[in-house]
Formats: sequence, structure tokens, C-alpha cells
Amino acid sequence: MSPAAQGRWLPDRATGLAILAALVCAAPVFAVAWIAVTGETGDYLVHLARTRLPVYLLNSLFVGLIAAGGAGLIGTVLGWLVARTEFPGRTLLSWVLILPLAVPAYVAAYAWLDLSQAGGPLHNATGGLFPTVRGAWGSGLMFALVLYPYVYLLARDTFTGQSADAYHAARTLGAGPFSAFLRTSLPMARPALAAGLALVVMESLADYGTVSYLGAPTLSIGLVRAWSGAGSLVDAARLSLILVAVALLVFGLERAQRSRARSHTASGRHRPAPRFHLPRLQGLAALLACLAPLMLGLVIPLARLGWLALNEQPAPDLLAASWHSLNLATISAVLAAGLGLSTAYALRGRTFIATASARAAGLGYAVPGAVAAVGVIAILSGTQALIDPAWERLTGHVFPILLTGGAAALIFAYLSRFAAAAIGPSEAALARVTPALDGAARTLGATRGETVRRVHWPLIAAGITSAGLLVFVEVLKELPATMILRPFNYDTLAIIAHNYASDERLGEAALPSLLIPLVALLPMIFVARYLSRTRSSSGTA
Amino acid sequence: MKYAKLLAAGALSVFAVACSQPETGGTDTAAAQTDESRVVNVYSARHYRSDAAIFAAFTEQTGIEVNLIEASGDQLIERVRADGPRSPADVIITVDAARLHRAEEAGLFAQTDFSEFTPDIAGNLVDPQGYWIALAKRARVIAYSNQRVEPGEIETYEDLADPRWDDRICVRESGNAYNQSLLASMVARLGEEEAEAWAAGIVENMARPPQGGDITQIIGVAAGDCDVAITNHYYYALMRNSGEAANRAAAEAVTLFFPNQETSGAHINISGAGIAANAPHPEEARELIAFFLTPEAQRMFAEMTNEIPVVEGVEWENPTLDAMLPFVADDRNVSELGDHNATAQRIFDRVGWQ
Repeated sequence: MSPAAQGRWLPDRATGLAILAALVCAAPVFAVAWIAVTGETGDYLVHLARTRLPVYLLNSLFVGLIAAGGAGLIGTVLGWLVARTEFPGRTLLSWVLILPLAVPAYVAAYAWLDLSQAGGPLHNATGGLFPTVRGAWGSGLMFALVLYPYVYLLARDTFTGQSADAYHAARTLGAGPFSAFLRTSLPMARPALAAGLALVVMESLADYGTVSYLGAPTLSIGLVRAWSGAGSLVDAARLSLILVAVALLVFGLERAQRSRARSHTASGRHRPAPRFHLPRLQGLAALLACLAPLMLGLVIPLARLGWLALNEQPAPDLLAASWHSLNLATISAVLAAGLGLSTAYALRGRTFIATASARAAGLGYAVPGAVAAVGVIAILSGTQALIDPAWERLTGHVFPILLTGGAAALIFAYLSRFAAAAIGPSEAALARVTPALDGAARTLGATRGETVRRVHWPLIAAGITSAGLLVFVEVLKELPATMILRPFNYDTLAIIAHNYASDERLGEAALPSLLIPLVALLPMIFVARYLSRTRSSSGTA
Repeated sequence: MKYAKLLAAGALSVFAVACSQPETGGTDTAAAQTDESRVVNVYSARHYRSDAAIFAAFTEQTGIEVNLIEASGDQLIERVRADGPRSPADVIITVDAARLHRAEEAGLFAQTDFSEFTPDIAGNLVDPQGYWIALAKRARVIAYSNQRVEPGEIETYEDLADPRWDDRICVRESGNAYNQSLLASMVARLGEEEAEAWAAGIVENMARPPQGGDITQIIGVAAGDCDVAITNHYYYALMRNSGEAANRAAAEAVTLFFPNQETSGAHINISGAGIAANAPHPEEARELIAFFLTPEAQRMFAEMTNEIPVVEGVEWENPTLDAMLPFVADDRNVSELGDHNATAQRIFDRVGWQ
């Protein structure tokens, strides 16, 4: 039996779910595109193109580049250090390094601007020498510091899972350890790194809270201003099409280089590379390299907010808000992981429909939360208009209002935004399940179900869980869509934090801002450690 | 693919549950409405502790439960618009007159005879067409350094565009509604051309690119980044009473100055409310707005958020606020801020005010 025919069974069954994922993710984007195309044309966009648009585009470019460069560097170096070398504190750091992901970039920005602005402690202590964290570079830096775990996580897993064969071959041929890394390990890790970087760039471009707080007007600011100001929903929808185009470009590049890099291990035996022990001084340097981003992205911002929170009475309803945040994040994470995994399986069939579904799902990630929310509103109110008369004729009752009725609209928007974030990691995880493995399992008499359960699952569980984790944290941090779509009396931590911070009551914003990372930390620590456990057991097998 | 099926079933059931959930709280349909469970659904752009206290007092006195959604004015407007005739919104509250105007333009408000609620409110704080009414006032004024600016050096907003202030002004970004309304008031007073020249002068005189909110600007003055800042008055009050020593020290290093006292009066903006056009509970909505205008609620604005009550003759205890009063306020109808909002935003774009 050819591997291709052997591989048909699962993908065929997953394709239905992949299509569902694509519909959920892309529908709001298409709704927005529809608004953009059919809306009335005013002169606002012409005005914008003549005045602010170049600034928005330049800022987006800078912010994206600085975020990607910073996160790529930090994530790759740390991922490699942890996966390939042995130094003091490595085991602990291997999961602690993921934790800055729990900090929303806007929360880091609150703390860093407060510390470094004129009159802040850092500014005073250094006599004004410490630069104020602001503008495009400041925003890019914030994104790099809190988003590098996307790259780190995928880099670490890939470097750990990589077979040592190529590396050893390079070493045998006379390459030093670093040269061997650059010429074998790094190119082999490229798909994972690219997936991580794509996430970082899209997150940065879709952000609103950070860039508005630090004064780096990117396209997403222009979009919100077009919507809320002199322009209209139509103008905003048209601007958001630019963001969608950029996203298509970023993900297109990622895909293109991933398909180039597709490779399967030549030998059936999976032999992870052994870690080499760093000498004392280098080990210390590695430890410091790991601690630096941790301090800058996690410890210092949270310590500052903690200090501010101590001087302020806690706002009411924090417990309820935490509970709401946790609920929304959990439900979305589980659903997104399911959709991501299904899409990844469907993609193994390499059918047109699967590829198209995955691409369409990626669209959702491209639009800022506010736009996704507008899309969801358009879809739900459209659906409502269709259902209402028919339902009333059938049952004599009014159909419950879709939009304001519950958390469904919100979860719809979350999935639309973030399910794509689960596809990349799922695919990366599934890449470890080679067609050869399927063949071997079937030859040894395993049924298809057994193959999935006993061969696939152990190999992909870590990846899928981390995919769910990414979505969980994203939802916890998400702000604009939550503001627009949440039900009555249903504040989340992000909303309380933003409300106070945008009113510059940083003292009152401090505690909810602090609680977001704290709520995220527990599940994250659990998952991070679980990931490390799965790693070592599969490593020694 | 058992897992996929399982997940699919899970996903569907969650959606089904979420969709079929009876609406939480007060979004009941009229049929289910009974006297025992009176509610009012409030969409508010305010997010101050005073409001929680006011709502609590309102519920206690009337038995009417308050359901609340807080978001920015624009987001609230978009949501009410999307929900259309089925929108559960009863009362819409914003913190900027231009946003009230937007909601009015979108047809979201019902015309109301607000004169029944209170006779003691200045005419320029009520929409001429009766779509909304002010609940509290805020002034957008100037803070200057005690060390580097002499009293009397500035008298008007117009002064700030003078080259004398080159590299000496801190002000926040133009996306901010308060800046938009300030410029809108300049457009109303001086016309578009002069207002644009003024905005261009301010951009020329900025000490740094706009960043942070009003408190950040005041801190900038105190720390020597700039010599004057444009700010809403209550931020200064907030800093004076702050739990943080650094904020109190910064407030003490600057003087809050109400400009244009000899001419047009200081620019004021409002928190205001209107009753939704499709309000399912219009009677409760009226009761809530009437309550906002009682001396009891007005007093809470003055004491808890340092906002200026709109109802004449209300008493309160707040020495920080009293120290700022009285002042001459621009007596133009605040609805003009909405009329000129779009113009103001385009001026900001043209002069490159970030």
C-alpha cells in the first residue's frame, strides 16, 4: 500500500471539522469584506491616504519588524540553549521561560511606561538617561518581550525532538557545535520558527492597547479611529482589508518555506541529540541570557504593578471577573485545539479542500479583535433577521436574541481570532508523525483507531496541549472583541484592567492587570511541566 | 476519528447551550416582564466607582435592578445599532458630548422631555432636540509648571499656539475624545481655518510625541519634560488625593489654570445620557436618569470623581474640587462639539497631531 493511500483515512474524516473551522474563522472576515465592498463610498479614505496613512503603514512595519526580530532572536537562542545544552537551572527554566506569554503586551506597557517616563523611578534613578519606553520601538520591544515564548516554545520542542543524525554527521565532518547548529539544527527547525514568528507578527499588528498607550499609531489604530471617528464602519472595513492582505502575505511566506523544508527522518530510529554541558563560565552566561528576558517581560512589570496595587483598594467584582475570564478561556481553548487538530489531520490528506480550509482559517487571525467582533455582529444580526419570522411562524414564540443572549457570540469571535493559532502548532506536532510510522503500526496489526491512540497521540499530545494553551492565554488577554460582544454584567479581568488604565488610574488597574498573568500562570505551569514530562519520556524511549 | 467526533459534539453542545441560554438578567422579553422584577439595562462608557454607588442607591430606593455593560462610547453605539429594534438597551451613557451626538445621528435615542426631571440645569447642557441630557461636567484646562511658568503668562488656549511655547507642551494623542471636543469647540468659536492654524501651532510646540493620558502629561510637566500640559480638571484632583506620593508631589509642582476666563470661558465637556429608541423598559430608564439628577447622585459625582454637578444648588463636601471653583465656562451648547467632531478629526490628521 502506498503511504499516500494509507494516509487517506484520517484526513478524510477530519476534513469536515476543518471546513467547520474555516467557516468559523473566516466568516467574520468575509462579512467585513462584504461591508467593505458593498458600503457607500465617502471621501474619508482619500483624506486618510493624503494625511495619516503613510504614518500608520510605517509604524506597522517598524513595530512588526522589531517584534519579530526581538522575539525571533530571544526565542531561538533560549530554545536552543534549553534543548541542547546543560547549565545551572536549565530544568526549571525550560518551563519558566514560557511564562512571559501570560503577560498581555498592554500590561507590560502600562508598567514600563510608568517606570521609565519622566518622573518615573527609572527616569529619576538614572538622571533621565534611561530612555522612555514609547513609540514604535517601545511597542515592538514590549511585543518581543512577552511574545517570544511563541518562538521559544516551538523552537525548544523542535530542537528537542530533532534527530541527532544530521547534527552528528556535521560534527563528524569537522563542524564545531555552533556551526553544526547553524547548518543542521536551525534549518531543520525553520518550519516551527516561522510558525512562531508569524504568530508574533500578527499579534503585534492586530494589537490596539499597547500601541495606543505607547503612542505608535499603527494601522489598527487608524482602523479604530476610522470607525469611531470621522470615517465609518465601511471605511474601517476597507482599511482592515489591508491588514488581511498583510496577514495573507505573512502566512503565505511561512507556508512557502515550510513546504520547502518538509523532510522526514531517514532512519526509523529517533535519536534525540544529547545535551552538551556548558563549562562553568558559559553556563553562567546561558543562565543570565535566560534570566534577562524573564526579568524584563515578567518579573519587573509584575513587580511594578504589584507595588502599585498595594497602594490601592482592590476594585469590586475582581473574583467574578476572574471566573468569567477563566470560563471563556477554557471553553475557547478546548474548542480551538479540537478545530486545530482536525485541520492539521485534514491537511495530511493534501486535498485542495483541506488546504483551502486551513488558509481560510488563517484569515481570522489577521484581523484585529474589533474587526472580528464587527463581523460577528453582522453575521448574527443577519442570521437573526432570517430566523425570526420563520421561527415565530413555526413556534409562535420569539427567537432568543442571538447577539446579546449569551457568551456564544463572544466564543464565536474568539475562535475566529484564535483557532488559527492552534493550527500551526498542531501541524508542527503532527509533522512528527511520519507516514512511515503509520505504515509500521498497521503492519504490526494495529487498527486505525489504535494507531491514532497509541502511536499518534503520544507523539502529538504535547503539541496539541500547547496549542490549546496558546489559545487559552490569548483569550484571557483579549480585549476589543470582549468589550464589544460580552453579555450584561459580564466583565473580564482584561476589561476591568483596561477601563481603569485607559482612565490613567493605574493604581486601580494594577490588580486586575496582575491577575491576568496570575490566572494564566497556574494552567500554564501545569501544561509547561506536562510538556516537559512528555518530552523526556519520549526522549528516552 | 473518535476524538474529532467527540470534540465536534462538544463544540456543538456548547454552542447550543450558549445560544439557547435564557438571557441573563434583564433582557427578558416584555411578556416575561412582571412588576416584581423591574430592571433597567444600562450601556455606559463611564467606569467610575461613583457609578456603582449611584446604581446601588438607585436599586435600594426603587427596587429596580441595574444591568450594566461598560465599554467605550463608540463600541456601545455600534452594538446598539447592530441589535436594532431588538436591542435590550434602555439607557446609553457616554463621557463625551460628541459621542452622544453620534448616537443621536444613528437614531438610537428617543426624544424625551427632560425639563420634567429638573428645572435647575443650564440650557446649554441639554440637547436642543431633547435626545440627551448632561449628568456631570468636566473642564479641559491647562496645567503649568510652578517653576518655569509665571502666573499670567498664559491666559487662553489660543496662547499655547504661540512660538513662545515651542518644545514646551505635553498633550495626549488626537484619537482621544477630549482633545477632539476641545478642537471642535475651537472650530465652533473661531472657524475651521483658525482652528487648524491653532492645532498646527500646538503640534509645532509639542515637547514630545503624544503618549499616555492626561495624568502622564501632568507628570511630564512636573518632571521637566515640558512646561505646560492640557488636561481634564479631575485628573489633577485625582493626583492631589492619590495614594501614591509621586502623584501627589507631581500635582503640587504644577498649577491648574482655567483659561479664557476673560473671553469665551473654559472648554467643558459632559457625561450625558439618553433613553434608547427601542428601550424595553422606558419607564425604568426615565426613573434612572431622574435619579442621576437628584442632589444625592449629583453629590456623589462631586465627591467621588471630582466631576462638576450639572444641577444648580447641589451641595457637596470636596475641598479639592472647591479649590478649582468657580470658573467661567464656555456657554455654547455642548451639542456643537458633536457638530464639529468630524471637522476636528480631519484637522488633526492634516496637521499631523498623532
